Amino acid sequence: MTMQIKFQINGVMRQVDIAANTTLVEALRDDLDLTGTKEGCGVGECGTCVVVVDGEPVTSCLMLAADAAGKQVETVEGLAVDGELTRLQQAFVAMGAFQCGFCTPGMLMSATALLRRSPDPDVAEIKDVLGGVLCRCGAYPKIIDAIRSVAGEGL
Amino acid sequence: MTTYVGARVPRVDSVDKVTGRAVYGVDVKLPGMLEGAVVRSPHAHARIVAIDTESAWRVPGVEAIVTGKDFPHLYGAAIQDQPYLAIDRVRYAGEAVVAVAATSQAAAQEAVRRIEVEYEPLPAVLDMRAALTEDAPLVHPDLHTYKRGTHEIVPHTNINTLYRLSKGDVEAGFAAADVVVEGEYSAQAVSHVALEVHVAVAQYEPGHGTYTLWVSTDRPFFLRSDIVNSLGLESSDVRLIVTEVGGSFGGKGVPVAEAIAIALARHTDGRPVRVELSREEDLVSSQHRVPAIMKLKTGVTRDGMITARTAEVIWDSGAYTAYTVGVAIRGSQTIVGPYRIPNIELLSRQVYTNKPITGSYRGYGTTQVTWACESHMDEIAAELGIDPVEFRLANAYEEGDVYVNGQIMHGVGVGETIERTSEEIGWGTIEREPEPHLRRGKGIATMLKPTMTPSSSNCVINIEQDGRVVVVGAAPEIGAGQDTVLAQMAADAIGVPLASVTVPDTDTAVSPYNGPVASSRTTYHMGNAILAAGTDLHDQIVDLAAETLGVPAGDLDMNDGIIYDGEGNPQMTLAALLGKYAGEGYSLTAAARFSTAGSPLLKADPGVEWISSIFWMFCTQAAEIEVDVETGVIRVLAVAAAADVGKAINPLTCEQQVEGGVIMGLSNGLFEDFYMRDGRIINGSLADYKVATIHDLPDITPILVESVHNEAPFGAKGIGEPAAAATPPAIANALYDALGIRIRDLPITPQKVLDALAAQ
Repeated sequence: MTMQIKFQINGVMRQVDIAANTTLVEALRDDLDLTGTKEGCGVGECGTCVVVVDGEPVTSCLMLAADAAGKQVETVEGLAVDGELTRLQQAFVAMGAFQCGFCTPGMLMSATALLRRSPDPDVAEIKDVLGGVLCRCGAYPKIIDAIRSVAGEGL
Repeated sequence: MTTYVGARVPRVDSVDKVTGRAVYGVDVKLPGMLEGAVVRSPHAHARIVAIDTESAWRVPGVEAIVTGKDFPHLYGAAIQDQPYLAIDRVRYAGEAVVAVAATSQAAAQEAVRRIEVEYEPLPAVLDMRAALTEDAPLVHPDLHTYKRGTHEIVPHTNINTLYRLSKGDVEAGFAAADVVVEGEYSAQAVSHVALEVHVAVAQYEPGHGTYTLWVSTDRPFFLRSDIVNSLGLESSDVRLIVTEVGGSFGGKGVPVAEAIAIALARHTDGRPVRVELSREEDLVSSQHRVPAIMKLKTGVTRDGMITARTAEVIWDSGAYTAYTVGVAIRGSQTIVGPYRIPNIELLSRQVYTNKPITGSYRGYGTTQVTWACESHMDEIAAELGIDPVEFRLANAYEEGDVYVNGQIMHGVGVGETIERTSEEIGWGTIEREPEPHLRRGKGIATMLKPTMTPSSSNCVINIEQDGRVVVVGAAPEIGAGQDTVLAQMAADAIGVPLASVTVPDTDTAVSPYNGPVASSRTTYHMGNAILAAGTDLHDQIVDLAAETLGVPAGDLDMNDGIIYDGEGNPQMTLAALLGKYAGEGYSLTAAARFSTAGSPLLKADPGVEWISSIFWMFCTQAAEIEVDVETGVIRVLAVAAAADVGKAINPLTCEQQVEGGVIMGLSNGLFEDFYMRDGRIINGSLADYKVATIHDLPDITPILVESVHNEAPFGAKGIGEPAAAATPPAIANALYDALGIRIRDLPITPQKVLDALAAQ
């Protein structure tokens, strides 16, 4: 059984026809071709699929797409505007805060939500928010450096 | 002139990776693509009695259902022992038995649920020591009939690899020793846990009998060899198009999802089939690090000089050999450590068991043997009452020392790595007891790692009409910064801006041959090929500029895309030079092949030259830990980690490798383990298989030692693998320093700490 839902993706209203059990990450990747968001486990254990829904970081594999209806969903594709990277993205580049890059969208979206809520987070706060996003390459030290480098300056 | 080599430039893959534009294996979508799913064995060892697919065929959208009998081929790097799908019997719980391709993942999964397989369970061998016994069930009764390489096996047993190495006279060496220390150590199976699971898309060309694959792999040409050798095809009958790779760590080199996708694609009349493993399948049914039991016996003089060592290693390949034969041979050699040991005897045996497949894992055996060697070194130091740092330095290799096979070692910076890490960690100073229940300790461990030798890399460099440079070489970017360091070397070799260089993804139909992105060999091997082709291009450009300007070529030079005269005055840009030929068109290309075969550096004793390595990597880590004596929990506070990289082409990417290596090593050392019941893994999820998170992060100080290597491009060796190996023994040695307890079996769990404390 399919259903029709509408939500805002990166500021643009989108409509999809999906099965009721479609998760948000599936809707983003398969139905909307927004493959920047990655899925690493499908059961909320790795954090690579984090997107921002109404300002909060959410593991999009655990949220039904239908539950995002009417909400504002932000993904990694929406960060840069017309090719202009956000300060946080620029910091990730300058500090080398990624290796294989597979967890990077989840890290960026988690950190973006954090910085909006708490513009000058200390290391403990950063670890709390990123604790659920795994990075097997071990980019953690440089991710912390990158977030700290934009702290207090705005995204 | 080096403008970019040695500079801390941002990675060339940065923008794609922070904007979500990078296309990984999981992102590939093709018209008409089918989705695959797999029925896997619940038994560790069983005969397949019957497979009933009738009900599954009735699921709408099912296009193919394939069993081992429908695709009866065997593959394997050293021994062709592994079927694409089980044929007649299953040899581990999690083995693929039946595969389905359907128009949707939901349909494929529904078909999988409806397939019934009848098994007759067989006695399983689940322990590597048990596998060695005479009455052990044979995992592969037909081992002696398989196609294989030249290494030694023991037919009609479970021993798929037998290897011995000896040097000098160990009896005389032990007789000359004042003290003999023995110890047995074990290293567990761990998973690579690349965040991108194994995934592949395969398409068969029915008229031609050829395949195209879209894969996330670190070694396209090796993977292709595995496939064509097993199918009886010619090399170019299989084309591999490589995507971005979402983590590999040695794990994405053998057919995993690829095998299933190929078997299905053969039966879908040309429609492409995509196979993506679930995380559970990835943890259980891809491959693990080879578990090992390592017995060491070392003789030393009272003043701390090593006189002899014997080592006996048992490796557990699991159900199929994959890349493990090389691990059991190459990996076991480094159990001698980076030390001058005059008399050595090594026996290495690898056995089949009815457990998940194992294979290459970051370090290719060195993470296991470094655990044994470096725990053992501290036990010897303790026995002698000598400081562990002093003991290592007294025995450590120096430039010009002789390796076990007689090779003269070059580019040896191990001493400096030991000195600088011990200094950084504040060796000999410590606050023992910050709280009544907490104790602190410091430990050190070092290691050496050879690289695959001989091997070759080829590249073609093309300069486009506008002066932009395209470097074509099959060295996939697996996350370690390959594209960036190769682009930096190309920019300097040619004399063009880094921003003008691109390193496209690999396509075996276009790229010349390259060995694997493994063995930490890319910077050195592909770098040398790029240096040669780049220098050629530089000369071609200067010649063309001289002809165009009507001056002698010897008067001109080019740097950063600008052509200068003999006095250093800029004359024109490369783009302007090529622009003069825009009407007729002008293309500049150069190709180069680099191979280490025949290098004078490899000279060694007759018969054992093959053990020589074109370069040696050294890595030392010193750790400070805090252990809670009430809970047994270890917290790693700080790690000083030094890698002798020869020359850091890019300090940023080198630091990434060192930091990432420490975190992976910490994770392997403290947390990771598989738990089994009746031969089945019961913790096949990231909730139950714990890997290090940002909360486990210690304060890491990366230290880059540059022992410039004469035959290396700009002096650079390699770094990726050794960075992870020294962490677990450094932690174990710090634990001994803190509490006087010695853990010899990985991982170092809180329970083991508490048990050791109770036994103290």
